[in-house]
Amino acid sequence: MLLWTAIALGASAAVGQSADGPGAGDHPGRAIYLQHCQRCHGPDGEGTDQVSAPLVGERSINQLAALIDETMPEDDPDAVDAAAARQVAEYVHEAFYSPLARERTRPARVELSHLTVRQHLHSIADLVGSFAGELPSLGGERGLAGSYHKGRSFDGQQRIFTRIDPGVRFDFGTEGPDPELFEPGRFAIRWSGSVVPTDTGIHEFVVRTEHAVRLYVNQRGDAEDPLVDAWVKSGTDTEFRGRVMLLGGRPQPLVLEFSKANQGVDNPNRERPTRATVELLWRRPGGLLETVPARCLIPEGAPPTLVLTTPFPPDDRSTGYDRGTGMSAEWLGAATTAAIETADHVAAEVDRLARVRRDAPDRPDRLRRFAATFAGRAFGRPLDEDLQRLVVERPFADVDPDAGLRRSILAILVSPRYLFRTDGFADGARPVADPYRVAGRLALGLWDSIPDRQLLEAAERGQLASPEQIRRQAERMLVDPRGRSKLRDMLVTWLRLDQSAEIAKDPERFPEFTPEVAADLRTSLEIQLDELLWRGPTADFRRLFTDDEMPLNGRLAPLYGVDLPATADFRRVRPDGGQRAGVLTHPHLLAMLSYRSATSPIHRGVFLARGVLGNVLKPPQEAIAPLAPDLHPGLTTRQRVELQTSPATCQTCHALVNPLGFGLEAFDAIGRHRPVVRTDGPAETVAEVAVDDSGAYQPRHGAAVGFRGARELAAMVAASDDSREAFVRNLFHALVRQPVRAYGPGMQGALEASFGEQGYDIRRLAVDIMVATALGPPASAATAGPPGAPSR
Amino acid sequence: MTHHHGPIGRRELLRRLGVGSAALPFLGNLPSLARGAAVGPKQRLIVLFTPDGTVRKNFWPAAGSLSAAVDGAPVALPPILAPLEPFRDRLLTLKGVCNKIRGDGDGHMRGIGCLLTGVELFPGNIQGGSDTPAGWSSGPSIDQEIRAHLQARPETATRFGSLEFGVLVPNRADTWTRMVYAGPNKPVAPIDDPYQMFARLYGQTRDRESLRSVLDEVREDLAAVSAVLPAEDRRILEEHAALVRGFEEELAEQRTAAAHAVPVLEPGILEDNDRMPQISRMQIELLVASLAADFTRVASLQYTNSVGQPRMQWLGIDEGQHDLSHEPNSNAAAQEKLTRINAWYAGEVAHLARRLAETPEPGGDGSLLDHTTILWTNELGEGNSHTRNDIPWVLVGGGLGFSTGRALEFPEVAHNRFLLALAHAFGHTGLERFGNPDFCGDGPLTGLA
Repeated sequence: MLLWTAIALGASAAVGQSADGPGAGDHPGRAIYLQHCQRCHGPDGEGTDQVSAPLVGERSINQLAALIDETMPEDDPDAVDAAAARQVAEYVHEAFYSPLARERTRPARVELSHLTVRQHLHSIADLVGSFAGELPSLGGERGLAGSYHKGRSFDGQQRIFTRIDPGVRFDFGTEGPDPELFEPGRFAIRWSGSVVPTDTGIHEFVVRTEHAVRLYVNQRGDAEDPLVDAWVKSGTDTEFRGRVMLLGGRPQPLVLEFSKANQGVDNPNRERPTRATVELLWRRPGGLLETVPARCLIPEGAPPTLVLTTPFPPDDRSTGYDRGTGMSAEWLGAATTAAIETADHVAAEVDRLARVRRDAPDRPDRLRRFAATFAGRAFGRPLDEDLQRLVVERPFADVDPDAGLRRSILAILVSPRYLFRTDGFADGARPVADPYRVAGRLALGLWDSIPDRQLLEAAERGQLASPEQIRRQAERMLVDPRGRSKLRDMLVTWLRLDQSAEIAKDPERFPEFTPEVAADLRTSLEIQLDELLWRGPTADFRRLFTDDEMPLNGRLAPLYGVDLPATADFRRVRPDGGQRAGVLTHPHLLAMLSYRSATSPIHRGVFLARGVLGNVLKPPQEAIAPLAPDLHPGLTTRQRVELQTSPATCQTCHALVNPLGFGLEAFDAIGRHRPVVRTDGPAETVAEVAVDDSGAYQPRHGAAVGFRGARELAAMVAASDDSREAFVRNLFHALVRQPVRAYGPGMQGALEASFGEQGYDIRRLAVDIMVATALGPPASAATAGPPGAPSR
Repeated sequence: MTHHHGPIGRRELLRRLGVGSAALPFLGNLPSLARGAAVGPKQRLIVLFTPDGTVRKNFWPAAGSLSAAVDGAPVALPPILAPLEPFRDRLLTLKGVCNKIRGDGDGHMRGIGCLLTGVELFPGNIQGGSDTPAGWSSGPSIDQEIRAHLQARPETATRFGSLEFGVLVPNRADTWTRMVYAGPNKPVAPIDDPYQMFARLYGQTRDRESLRSVLDEVREDLAAVSAVLPAEDRRILEEHAALVRGFEEELAEQRTAAAHAVPVLEPGILEDNDRMPQISRMQIELLVASLAADFTRVASLQYTNSVGQPRMQWLGIDEGQHDLSHEPNSNAAAQEKLTRINAWYAGEVAHLARRLAETPEPGGDGSLLDHTTILWTNELGEGNSHTRNDIPWVLVGGGLGFSTGRALEFPEVAHNRFLLALAHAFGHTGLERFGNPDFCGDGPLTGLA
């Protein structure tokens, strides 16, 4: 397996460490451990009543030795000197503490799991969508296609011109779009294309106009129930709303029809040229009302997507990534309700999806064939006779064909073959590299979804056998809207942006930090991530930390010291004379990792230590409220944090956390650069002192690194093996949703090496991970023996 | 079929997984089994709309008792009402009840938009054949007012409160196609697809049945796929199987509890002009079944729309109804055709009355018709003049306690007063005004009971 991985990745050498470490049982550190440590940590580090958490982590022997020397045993740190601490560290590291030790004692395996919520949403969207048509690509122009008509309707005869509008926000006055081409009292415009929302969730659309409008979102343009139907103008309302569930990252059709004319009986004599304005706005989940921006619109249409509205219980994220490993009545109820929701949709749309008329004589046969195709796509392989009988023939027996279709769809979607599709477990009797299983792994990994037509065709032709063939498919899939969405979601999760509630600041300290500014900052960071991922020839991971530019618009610019017109849309600028350092200094992140009126070096440090550099931190041993500034007037935030975390019990983690967070102290609680900080306390004691943003980091291997300021901190992070290791592991888990260790002890190291050799290209890494895993876990991991037995 | 239980007993597993008497999420909101416990006799109202006015000379019976006899035989009903002959004693016609609402909108728009609301239309952008453009009604319709009254009381609240049926209502939302309003600017679209209405009424029942039928397959398949799995992974599937089994048992219990007759619809009927008779009968079946199940006590059944243009080729009539209705009264051929068209509608009213009369009142005396009033109405009194005086109001049945077997005439009273009388008949006597208060002067129309 190790050899194969190395070949598949094109890596020159596998980096994985041998699992044959020295025997831990006779290590001299064992005696010291049993004497001083086991009464709290248990004989094998499993924990006791005193310390319930198991003694496991990612620290190196060096880190661990330093820690033990300084802080252990907690009641008498002097009882263990540096040499003894070193021996204890070596022993526990080898026996049970380190990831490798854990791998030896508890071999990881690829576990059966049901679909996650995201996999459910995307699978249903693609399954039903596969009968509706292809998704447009996201590589082209932004905005909506506007079709401008003379007259009051959309008669092609009267179309004057078409053009691409960046959005819909027009004031035509009383003259109309052009008095030479249109009558001012009667013209009609249809804007069409797709909306590409950033988030999955309920979006509220708002149309403002004095005239007739219809808005279709994720519907066909001739649907009977437009999201907004104000074609009948009645009374004085000029604002019309509708709410719709949308799937993030995926084009979903949008049509806005506008008519400046009376409807009903055609009588131009009764029409007058009144003012005509029209604006299309939306409110993203958790966002503010804003004109739908051009970056979320494309002029190409798309087939409507079925977006499940069934609420699911949240997935288990205890291992750091979503996994479908919990079983509950709530989950089964949700899965069943989702199956019914899908069957409802398919039953209502089947004439179009199966291209069959209600009164067609061969309708029964056509619906049966449709159900069989549906099942094949849901299960990711053509049906054999037994399955055909189970999910098609039996449901269709003895009922009318439309009722049979509903039953069949239900049978397919509540089948364990569908719900537990992860790693094609239902094909367990087939070879691990069976091409349909490979297709299934690629689709789940890169899309959280089912294989598309091209993947299934490749499987059928046996073209998913070699790493090259798999690589070509993975590269194709990654730039698809679904692949882009998956990669973006990974970054958002990794940066914890998905867990950030609305950011609010003390209005007296930061009156400029309005809800609009907070919303724009979130958008700015999203744009920065999207540009990093997709704009250049490669998506260089290190630029996440080294980029001194960021996107700002006219509203944000003055706040962050940049000169832009007030109405400017987002554009890349270089604030503060190049003091910025990628996402680490993005004001959204800095504001998120701050208190209402002051910075929080601890939050920032934890984010760096745990999220970015991949260290394992335990929660504080007791809940501690931050020191009130009034108690120790005259201190800076940094000094107060140092004071509060000075006890030895705190230093086990804060020795790592604080110096990282201090590196960002030159940015205030809303992420503005500041050369000086004010001390806290009563007004008469407040002083301005120069920022101290020096810090340090002890990596898991090698010597400690000191730095001063965000740029040096970011350079350290960008060059750090620890950040690389953490990112590779995070991306692996986001894509494969299985422990990386289940793929052999060499997998992580080989991927890291390849990442470095390929210029830290995130896109390339995603493809490499899929190439390395699509043929399945090593046989030994897939059929792991009983717990405790070695997996080799 | 074999079924793996694994090391833990199934019941224990179910308990641990939280499956018990608590229903799974989508199984909630079942039909109102516990509701509607008998507190006095039930009252129901069905508003049935047909378009384009009537043929006055062939519609209005002579004022007085409809049982009045000449030479021992009752006087024949006028041709349009003839299909209602079997219900002569349950019949009440009201002449001289007029829609007096003025303001924006043409006659057809105000005809339907103010028919049940008794209030002006908002100014808007819908231009009619004459008059100024208008929008939606500026108030609720009386059926929705009654619905709100019934829903506010546990003893009269039902699962749906009201149901809006349609027959070939055009697929466009405008002032001519909407009769029912939940409030100002809140038109309620009738459902004119019987399959869609069926799904609304019985979707949950159908889903439960479908699920029951597929769960056997699921369990069979679970056993097959479990067999090839390593022992650790089999655990999660065993939990899954236990949940499925618990689910199945729950479905079976629900089924026993919810059992009542569900209408069977002929599949594959397309919504087009020529299928109007079939669609009408399908909707009537669903409507009667909804009342029998006490899904609702207020319903409407809207045939086409104001300015409706059905072409009743099944009667040998090729022209559209609205075109015919514009012909002068001197056009005898048109009058004859319009008479047959309206008599066909009367036949559908009679069929509805018959189905109600055939259905015993659940848990009570007599039939559904004894506790239901059908109110057949129209947006105009006459098509060619567009008058909204003498709207052809026909009531059938005993739901509102009105004294039937009569043809009443009133001296041009505003229909707001009749709408008030409907509400009062439901015990909604706190309602003193409805729609435009200027037309409610003397309170609810009297002389009906």
